[in-house]
Amino acid sequence: MKNIWDFQRAALGIAEKDLRAELRRSYEVLSILTFSVGSILICSFAWSGGSVGSKPEVASAALWIILFFASILAFTTSFTREADRGTLGGLKTLPCSPLAILYGKIIYGTALLFFVECVLIPFSIIFLNLELSGRFPALLLVCFLGAMGLSFAGSFVSGLVMFSEGKTLLLSFLLIPVCMPVLIPSVVATEEIIGGSGITEVVPELRLLISFLLLITAVMILTFEFVLEE
Amino acid sequence: MYNNAIAVEIIEVSKRYGYLQALKSVSLEIEEGEFLAFSGHNGAGKTTLLKIIATHISPSSGTVKIFGDDAFKNSAEIRRRIGLVTHESFLYDELSVKENLLFYAKLFSVKEEEDFLDTIEFLGLKRWYNVPVKQLSHGLRKRADIVRALIHNPDLILLDEPFAGLDTNTCDILVNYFKSRKGKGKTLLISSHSLEWSKKICDKRISLDKGKIVGEISF
Repeated sequence: MKNIWDFQRAALGIAEKDLRAELRRSYEVLSILTFSVGSILICSFAWSGGSVGSKPEVASAALWIILFFASILAFTTSFTREADRGTLGGLKTLPCSPLAILYGKIIYGTALLFFVECVLIPFSIIFLNLELSGRFPALLLVCFLGAMGLSFAGSFVSGLVMFSEGKTLLLSFLLIPVCMPVLIPSVVATEEIIGGSGITEVVPELRLLISFLLLITAVMILTFEFVLEE
Repeated sequence: MYNNAIAVEIIEVSKRYGYLQALKSVSLEIEEGEFLAFSGHNGAGKTTLLKIIATHISPSSGTVKIFGDDAFKNSAEIRRRIGLVTHESFLYDELSVKENLLFYAKLFSVKEEEDFLDTIEFLGLKRWYNVPVKQLSHGLRKRADIVRALIHNPDLILLDEPFAGLDTNTCDILVNYFKSRKGKGKTLLISSHSLEWSKKICDKRISLDKGKIVGEISF
């Protein structure tokens, strides 16, 4: 019980530290938000004269393309900044397992991406003329699980490449296949919800997302201890 | 002089990085309360040895025991008793000295800020306590890093080149601080090119060359 409590405290402490540092930097979050909102605006210009809401597959694709590239921007610096600046050594002095450090990064990444979604979704509703009626909570749930999935994948891959040459390029390449099990059900579920389905109709996609989270957790438990070693 | 309990026991430790053999079958016993300096040329294996003792990297072969426990079987608990300062700062530029220290204090279960305010004062950091780390000079940053390493009152203190790039005044402050730790049950290992400063703190020097221990001299 004490170990679980120590694990949780370490992970939350690391996430809080990252969020605090991110707020101080601010330029990174602003870049991600500018990219996301700008992309939605460009999409709305491209599709003006017709409601994208009547083509849910288009709106869903636009949303998740933007979120995926926003996650690349976010996770490029997750572990790599710690390795480049030397602060990774500080994390390795902590009395916690390497998994706690990874989970701290995952919590931070999920919070960051969810914040981006909270800005992006209202902009999408307005500029892409999406009709959600009472399905907004369902969309939020899918987006939250998708953000969590991207964060799991992004943080893990960021850890894998942090000691590599060309880490930014490598991260982008590796994220595509690793995120597919997140993106496919997220895109399908988002399309269904925008198209008029309720949460019960997207349960198979939610199951896939949760299965991915469990699978990648198992992989991380088995491998991450070796990832942190230089 | 010491209480004869062994703080660090290194048994036939080797470390290889690809084709490079950084350490070759190093064996060493360090008693509790001992203040020891490692010396040697660049690439002798001093930093590698300190990192292995700090459980940052695992040896390719051999065993390390810290206070009687296998360092790599229960490394998280072992790290509660170790404080490490390297030539790289472990502080976050965007956060203030206070925020950095509170982050580490929280994760080391240090309950009260008062527990380390004395060290802040001794090392002359009070004025910069709320200043972002990126605004500190190299010397002040090093002092803040030392507070960070000692925040949980570790029994084993590891210092890798603590005097590098520092002015005489800062070196004097650090030497006085570490001398004040002697006889209080702390074990200290320094890796440094500067024998002049190490001599002022340590009782003994161990020389390394090409990954092997080649000499042991008392100061």
